[in-house]
Amino acid sequence: MPIVIIFALIVTVFLFAPVLIVVPMSFTTSQSYAFPPPGYWTGQYAKYFSDPTWYLPTINSFTIALGTAILTLALVIPAAYAVVRYRFKGRAFANMFLITPLLVPTIISAIAYYKYLSYPKLVGTHIGVILAHTCLATPVAMLIMAAALKGYDRNLERAAMMSGAGVLRTFFYVTFPVLRPGIVVAGLFAFLNSFDETVVSLFIAGRAASTLPKRMFESIQLDTDPVIAVVSTMLFLLVICMFLLQALLRRRQFHGS
Amino acid sequence: MLMVRPQIVAWALLAPATIYLVVLFVAPLVQVLFLSFTDPKLSANHFIRVFSAPLYLRTLGVTFQAAFTVTAACLVLAYPLAYVMARSKGRLGIILLAIVGISFWTSFLVRTYSWLVIFGNRGPIAALYEAMGWGEMPQLLFTSFASTLGMTHLMLPYMVMALYAVMSRIEDNYVRAAHSLGAPPFAAFRTVYFPLSLPGVINGSLLVFAIVMGFYVTPQLLGSPQSRMISQLVAEQVNELLAWGFASALAVVLLAATAIVITIYNRVAGLDRLWGD
Repeated sequence: MPIVIIFALIVTVFLFAPVLIVVPMSFTTSQSYAFPPPGYWTGQYAKYFSDPTWYLPTINSFTIALGTAILTLALVIPAAYAVVRYRFKGRAFANMFLITPLLVPTIISAIAYYKYLSYPKLVGTHIGVILAHTCLATPVAMLIMAAALKGYDRNLERAAMMSGAGVLRTFFYVTFPVLRPGIVVAGLFAFLNSFDETVVSLFIAGRAASTLPKRMFESIQLDTDPVIAVVSTMLFLLVICMFLLQALLRRRQFHGS
Repeated sequence: MLMVRPQIVAWALLAPATIYLVVLFVAPLVQVLFLSFTDPKLSANHFIRVFSAPLYLRTLGVTFQAAFTVTAACLVLAYPLAYVMARSKGRLGIILLAIVGISFWTSFLVRTYSWLVIFGNRGPIAALYEAMGWGEMPQLLFTSFASTLGMTHLMLPYMVMALYAVMSRIEDNYVRAAHSLGAPPFAAFRTVYFPLSLPGVINGSLLVFAIVMGFYVTPQLLGSPQSRMISQLVAEQVNELLAWGFASALAVVLLAATAIVITIYNRVAGLDRLWGD
């Protein structure tokens, strides 16, 4: 058993240590990927916030991810409701069909959208990227929404109906508030799915709707601009903050109940 | 009160998502399939080329080999880690879970970039070689090794999560029962714990294998230009050569290969497991 624990710890270091390198790299004075950095300053941060080719893709990524999350929820909430609540012909097929975007390699979706969205002239637009990202985010949001609906006590609804509330009233005053945490998590996953998505954006985002992952990819491929370390550090810190936040929320929920 | 058949209500609720995916997911893919046979003219020539030219056969080989290697490496590294996470009740389990979770959510590009720095000719490995006086360091960047290692690093949290999801539900009592019936520790693990953890092994392997088959970013940024994966050829055909017909044919072959893997998985394990039904 101690050997297994030691092995697990080594694997953990392999998983975590390489990422930490981005923090010192973001303060480097060098114009290349030299590590350890020859000197430290905050100039790369100033450069990130003053260079539109970096901060505009960041804004685009947030806009596109938000649009994707809203559109995905609008599609997924009723669909998950149908799949969990009803037993009907074609249910297994619907289940399967709604997760297929997860199973298709993204490079294939990428070239498919590149061609398909060029006819309505949506390549290089925010809307085009949102439309594509919504397909890719649907399976994950669907799985989360369905899981949330399954853990939901239907007696609450029955009680509301017996007290005389109609179908719509029951949905908006009982079902929706109880499901809100599940909806928030599904929306968050859709947001992150879009925010991180690289390959489809690479093909269809163009200049005007260029996303942060696309900009990072191009930065790595074309030059050794150390600003990418600044972006990496901020993304890494964002993930840690979100992780701590959800742990805190979960703990509070646990203590509350 | 108006009574509507549940069948109709269910499909009405499903309609927006279904129609959306048909128009914006299925249709673009069907177009790719169509192009693979018709661009520039109606023929199966693109497919004949994929399966007869040594270059493309080699690419298929490289792709499958990468998927196998990464899946196997992830399994070997992830299994003990997930095991310790699932079985340690105290602080250790929580810390490991947090690290795996944070890694899972950290962007692929951020992590690929770290490897670029580490393997770079001005990176920490190069610095170590210089400090120790070992002379020139071996070329690491832009090799199959870098690409495979990078993908293993990226896919590891997926495998750990898939294993952990199953392992955290295995009750200690089963293993304890085996012990108290006289099984030595390893025998108890092999005959009781391991079979119970198999669904996690299968889920994780499918997930990693399917993702690596179509991986583009990491092989493109870290890998060798001499042994490229099929996704890189697809991108090149579209971006540099505008050869839509041939790119589409390569995409269809990749899609078919992925479909075969998923079908085998479905036979063995059942895809509806994903839904936890």
